[in-house]
Order: sequence, then C-alpha cells, then structure tokens
Amino acid sequence: MAGITYDEAAHLLRRMGFGGSPQEIEALVARGREGAVDFLINYAQVDNRAMDDLIARSFDFSDPNDFTKFNRFELERWWFTRMVHTRRPFEEKMTLFWHNHFATAASKVFDIFMYVQNRKLRDHSLDRFDTLLKVVSEDSAMLIWLDGIQNVKGSPNENFARELQELFTMGIIDVVTGEANYTEDDVKEIARAFTGGKVRFARGSTDPYAFEFFVNPEQHDFTAKTVYGVTANYSADDIITVVSARRSTARYLVKKLFDFFVYPITSSSSDKQTVEKFANVYVSSNHSIKELVRAIFVSDEFYSDRARFALVKQPVEFIVGAIRMLGAVYNPGTYEPRNQSNVLAALSIFLGQELFNPPDVAGWNLNLGWINTATLLNRFTYADLLVISRTRDLSAPGLWLSHEQLRRHTKANPKKTVKKFLSVLGPLKVDAKMVRALSDYLRTDDAGNIGTFTPDDLTVDKKVRGLVHLIMCLSEFQLN
Amino acid sequence: MPTTRRQFIKRSAGAVTVGLVLPGTLLREARAQQAQANTNRKFVVIQLAGGNDGLNTVVPYTDSRYHSLRPQLAFNEAELKDSEGRSTVISNDFGLHPALGKIKQLYDQGRVAIVLGVGYQDSTLSHFLSMDIWHTADTSGLASKGWLGRYADIALLGQTGLPAVALGGLEKPKSFNAGMVVVPNILNFEIYNFLADPAYPNDYANQVNAFNFGASRVFDNASLLSTINNAAFESVRGAQHVQRNVNNYRSSIVYPRENPLAVGLQMVAQLIVTIPEAHLLYVQLGGFDHHADQVDHPNGQPNKLAGQHNLLLRWFSDAVDLFYKDMAEHGLADDVILMEWSEFGRRPQENASFGTDHGSSSQMFIIGNPIRGGLYGRQPSLAATELDLAGNPKFNVDFREVYATILDGWLGADSKAVLGAQYQNVGFL
Repeated sequence: MAGITYDEAAHLLRRMGFGGSPQEIEALVARGREGAVDFLINYAQVDNRAMDDLIARSFDFSDPNDFTKFNRFELERWWFTRMVHTRRPFEEKMTLFWHNHFATAASKVFDIFMYVQNRKLRDHSLDRFDTLLKVVSEDSAMLIWLDGIQNVKGSPNENFARELQELFTMGIIDVVTGEANYTEDDVKEIARAFTGGKVRFARGSTDPYAFEFFVNPEQHDFTAKTVYGVTANYSADDIITVVSARRSTARYLVKKLFDFFVYPITSSSSDKQTVEKFANVYVSSNHSIKELVRAIFVSDEFYSDRARFALVKQPVEFIVGAIRMLGAVYNPGTYEPRNQSNVLAALSIFLGQELFNPPDVAGWNLNLGWINTATLLNRFTYADLLVISRTRDLSAPGLWLSHEQLRRHTKANPKKTVKKFLSVLGPLKVDAKMVRALSDYLRTDDAGNIGTFTPDDLTVDKKVRGLVHLIMCLSEFQLN
Repeated sequence: MPTTRRQFIKRSAGAVTVGLVLPGTLLREARAQQAQANTNRKFVVIQLAGGNDGLNTVVPYTDSRYHSLRPQLAFNEAELKDSEGRSTVISNDFGLHPALGKIKQLYDQGRVAIVLGVGYQDSTLSHFLSMDIWHTADTSGLASKGWLGRYADIALLGQTGLPAVALGGLEKPKSFNAGMVVVPNILNFEIYNFLADPAYPNDYANQVNAFNFGASRVFDNASLLSTINNAAFESVRGAQHVQRNVNNYRSSIVYPRENPLAVGLQMVAQLIVTIPEAHLLYVQLGGFDHHADQVDHPNGQPNKLAGQHNLLLRWFSDAVDLFYKDMAEHGLADDVILMEWSEFGRRPQENASFGTDHGSSSQMFIIGNPIRGGLYGRQPSLAATELDLAGNPKFNVDFREVYATILDGWLGADSKAVLGAQYQNVGFL
C-alpha cells in the first residue's frame, strides 16, 4: 500500500475537500494513500451528527413558502455552513462539482427547485452516471432552466437537447479524436425524444419538497427519431442510455473531472492517453462515478508535480479553506437576527461565485476565469475581513479568528512564525526572499523601521493578523 | 524617477504611484515601448449577451417571410411606434423595435450606423463558442487573446494609468485578454480598494510595501503564478488611481439604478470624465437568450410591447441615450463611439414558447458623433431556399470588417496587424 506524505495529504484534502488543520492532515497521512482516499470517499460512514445538529438549530426549511426562513440567501448560508462544518468534505465538493457540471441558476429557477436539485445531486453524486443523468433530466429545476417543460410535440424546444450533448455528456467535439460528436439534426431529434416532460407536486406527500416527474402523452412525440444515424422510437430514457454509453461521454467526463480536481487536460497525446486510461475505468465499472473518481484520486497523475498547485482556488475553496486551515470559527446563527452570519455567502458573490446561481449553463469559468483585478481585490478584502474579525465571544454568530488560535501558531522568532503560517495555509512553497520580506514585515514599526520581534499580545493582534492577511494575498495562496 | 522596483517600493513608503512600474515581466518590454494610442479617442463596447433577436430589433416589417415565420412575434408597421407614439420606422424596409425610441432619435440625428447581416462563415449555435469567436476575432474560437487585447499589446504597452477597463462586472471579457498588458475590470468603484486592518492605520504602509514586494516578483512567463501576480500588482496600483480620481465626477444626468446597463455606462462616463487616459471601455447587458417568453402572453395572447426582450431593449436604448447626453454635457461627445454586439441573432422561425432559438447573422449598432449614420451592409434573405439547415440566414458582412473599420478609422491602428488579415472598410467612419 502506497504511503502518503504530509504535503500530498494536504493536497488531497484541499482538492477532495477544502483543506484542514495540521491534525486532520496528519490523520490522513496515517491512513496511507488508498486509505486516505477511501476514508474521504466513503463519507457515508463518517459520523456527521455535529453538523446535522448545527444545521437543524440554524435553519428552518419546514415551509418553503415562508420567505423569511426559506430564500436564496438562506440557501447559500446553508451550503456554506455545511462546507465549513462537515466532517464529510468530499460530499460537499462532489455536489459542487455536479452543480457546476449541470449548472442551473436561481436567476431563472425558483429557490425551492434549486434546493430540491441540490439534494438530488448530493444523493446521486457517486451513483452510476446514467442514473444521475436521468435524475437531472427529470429534475424540476432543470426542466425550467432549459425550457424542458415547454418542449412539446410539433414545436420542440432544443435548449435541453443541445446542452445535454454539448455540456452534460460528450462536448461538441470528442476530447480524444477531435471529431464532431453530433449534428444539428441530432439536437432536433433528441429534443423530440424529451417532449412532454412535466413536473407536479407529489400527490399525497407530506414533504413540501416532493415533486414528481411525468410525461404528458398529448405533448410527447411518439414517432421514430434518428439519432447518431440510428432510427428507432427512442424515449428519453433510451437517449440517456445511448449518450451515457458513448465513448465520447466517458472521455468528456474524465476531462471535466481532471479540470476540476487534478489539472487542466490539454490536447497533447500523453493527456489523451490519460483520458483513455480513466475512460476505461468508467466503462469497466459500468459507469460508476464512485469508481472513476476513486481511480483518479489514487493515481500517480493526481500526486504528480504537474498536479500540485495546478488549479486556481475557487472562491468557495478560498473562503472555506482559509477558515478550516486556520481554525477560524464560523457560527451560522439563525435566520432571525440579520447579523454577521451571512458574510460568507455575501462575499463569495464578490469573489465571482454565488452558490445556486452560476452565470450560465456552462457553469463557472474555472482557474484563470476566477482571476481579474476586481475579484483579486475582493479576495484581499475577504482576507482582511477574516483577520480583523476579533471577538470576546466565540459563540456569537459570524466569522471569527481568535487571538488564542493565532497565538498557537506564533513562534518566538519572526522567520519561524512566517514559515509556520505558510505551512498552515498550504503548505505553500514560497522562496526565501518572500519569507524574508514577510519576516521583515513582522519586525517593521509604524515609522517603517525594522526592529525586533516580540510575540506579545499587541504584536499578535497587529502583526500576526497582518501576516495572515499578507499570506492570503500572495499569488501562491490563490492556487490549489 | 526610481529605476528599480525595489527602489520604488522603498521610496513610495506605501503610496503606490501610478505609472512608475509595470509588473516585473513587462518592465523591459515597456521601457522600449512608447504607447502609440491616441487616448483622446474613446471606444466603448456594449455586449448584449445571450444572442439578441436581431429580427425583432431592426424589424424587416415589409418582408412577408418575416411575418409568416413569426405569426406570434412579428411587428407590423402600425406597431412600430415608441412609447410616445412616434414612428420608429427608419426606411422603406426597416423599423426599430418600439422600445428603441431613444436610439431612433439618435438615428434621425445621423449618429447611429446600423450594419445589417453581420456574422461569419459556418456560424456556430453554441453561445460559448460564438462569444469566443467574436471576442478573439478567430472563427476557430481557439485563440487565447482577444481582439482588443491584441490592440492593447500593440498600442497601450507603456501607457500609464488606466487606458482600458471593463466596467460593471466580475468577469473580464475575453476581448481584453492580452499577452502583455493587464486590463483591469471594476465591479464598482467603492469596493475597488486595497484594505488592511483599520485598528492599526499606521501599519497600512507596511502592508502595502510587503504586498508590493510579493506582487513584484517575477515568475515563469505564462505560468499561473505569473498571470495572477501581474493582475494582483495591477489591481492595487489601479485601485489607488481610481480612489484618487473618480469621485471628482459631477453630472446632471441621472442614470436609473434598476437599469444595469445604465449603471455600467455611468461608470464608463465617470472614468472618461475623470481619468484622461481612459481609452477602451467595456460593459455588458445579459439575458437575451429568449428560448421562451420573449414577449408576455397573458391568456395565451402575445403582448409584444411587454416582456423580457422589450425590457432589455429599452434598457439598452435609454442607457445609451443618457450616456450620450452625459458625454455632451462634458464636451466629450465628439470623442466617443460605442459599438454594440451580440454573439448571434435568433432563428427566424419562432418556437411554440413565445420565444426563438439560436440563430446566426444579425445587425450591429455603432453610435456617436463621429459616426456617419445610416444603414450599412445588406439584410440576408429569409426565403426558405436561402436559409441553412438549422433554418438560419446567411451573412453578408464579416464581423471583423466592423472591427477593422473601427481599428483603422477611429483607433488609428493597423487593423491587419491586430486581426491578422485585411478586412473591408464598412464605411461608417
């Protein structure tokens, strides 16, 4: 069984989750590579009652029609609370992957349907891909988002049929061969197979979030369709089976997973080989998402130099990651007093990522798509907000970075203090000159003169908080 | 003037002075360059994202095919009247959507060029690919640099201050992707700032110095770290420039806050008025992807004067009008042109959802005092035999002809150097 170094385990936890404390990373090291991956993937076995209790205390979604308690901002607060407090980080990360993959947005879809979709993505995130695709195609949010409910016999709406192929399964061109995966006629024909799909409130259910999918036979086109050159009387389910089984879909999914979790796939021949290797896992495991991601996270590709810090942190990774790595405190409070507890969701919007509201059906632009002068300044502003969040009451709603927690990582000597925080926040690889500049910062007084470093309370409150701000502003910290 | 970044950082003691430094990798190239752009000429791009329905924007009201393809959505001549009852007809063949009353008035004053039938060969029906094609002026959509980014690399390298900015958004438009110049984008001026701990204001200079040390480091060209670090440096440098200047803006024009394009164009005006080198400005209005409910339809009856498309076009028209008046108030109306684009038009045949699916060629608007107003290009035929397999019209003007006309005729650039080929002049400049 392959071992896993501290840096590798930190890398794994940042990618499969949001990073963690030195203790959490050490615990993964003790499990070895496969053990660590299995621990994170088999999250259903991890006791998460503490988070469940916190969620139950902090939110009241019992009545989706009560706007004060159930609305988009509450949903965003809910998901951030989960990401900060869960002991099953991969559950949240994989749900986020599918939210980005099947990007559906509250800009067009009612909050209640966004919440229902999130629960479905969560429940099926490691299922067979065919199953997940069927769930999504029958999902109320998706039927509204891509106009499926308006897709009727005689005048098909192509929106879903197009994105099903372009974004959800195979892409316009094959990742490996570069050949066109489908024609405009395929779009039209597949649209016909999905005609008549509707949703309604599940009759007799006491769950206010229960909706059921059905096909209105009056509006469904039962005539034969020709898809990828084969003519048959395809139903929507038949189409899902056909597209899920295409080699192009296997390749495209591997590329999407690599782009999100490992490194961006290029068109080089070695990357094509990598895609084929993992596409084979998808095929041999009967389209199991769980087997595919497991194969990726235990692979040498995942631990290669190329993969290390090869991605740009998504805003939620930046926000939640800093909290989890530093051991900061986030108390969600309740819906009632409009206090600091909404701060994470509110800031994330300014960093370019509003959960439940991606910009369009292609999802967020990852990596350098996150970076521009406006979003960078807003990242720096979040860092500032985190380090100035002082409190005497760590149980108050909001985001807090306690003096005691900073004191814990502060060393007697400025260079060691810098190195400790660079390790906690990464570990980040930063050259000696930068370490020197940060250590000089710790020793510089208000007049700009470099003096001595005395780790007393004032220095921790002023300079160590300032140091954390500066490290979070480093370009190295923007990477994942 | 300090000659190295280290000296600069020491001397500035926390106050970042605009224009003295460039991100490390650019320093050497920049010294050899003298910016060539005439920054007195302002160019504003308005992107209508989602695929604007060109046929219901500049309406071919006499075309019987238009009416037969759009039984629910087509406007007839009698309906082409703005909110005050004035006709929006601009020729024997075309009229503007009733929501474009303000644009119609500018048109009548000879300040609006409308280029008909703009597109490109084998138009894609994908939003994302088509946007990339327009942004990069490369019909493969694979080029990494935007057309304005390439212009900026040629004409703006070495230009101090804020010569190019995208406004009102958290995403930088790909048109501005450049090889050497970092083009900033600003969501709003208030939060465009580098903040530190307010409990220790006297430590701010130390914070900025340490930040600048980090942001001035040189990383491998084209690495993620290099790109991020250059943007980080530029963000703080530009933020200080913005904070010092934009609050000097005064205007009698009131831009309604509920109109997002008006909010964006007010920021453009604010920059143009207070920052003399502001030269390329970019704003967006989204929401044009009207597969369904393009018009309201109470009880199944279409009401073409209400609904999403009407609202968005009214926002466009009103915002442009206010911006034009603002520029005139500041004596800048002769210095500014606007160019509107959208990634494609919509399908001539309406769908059953009171909407339209993805189309191909469409028109573009170019607006301003320096523009020779009127109709340019040629409307493609809607005859069944002239439509492609998806049912979309051909194009008559390559969109790069419009870019070339602006590059050569307004920006004073060599369009061939920017676009990689020679394109015909459309004639509106």
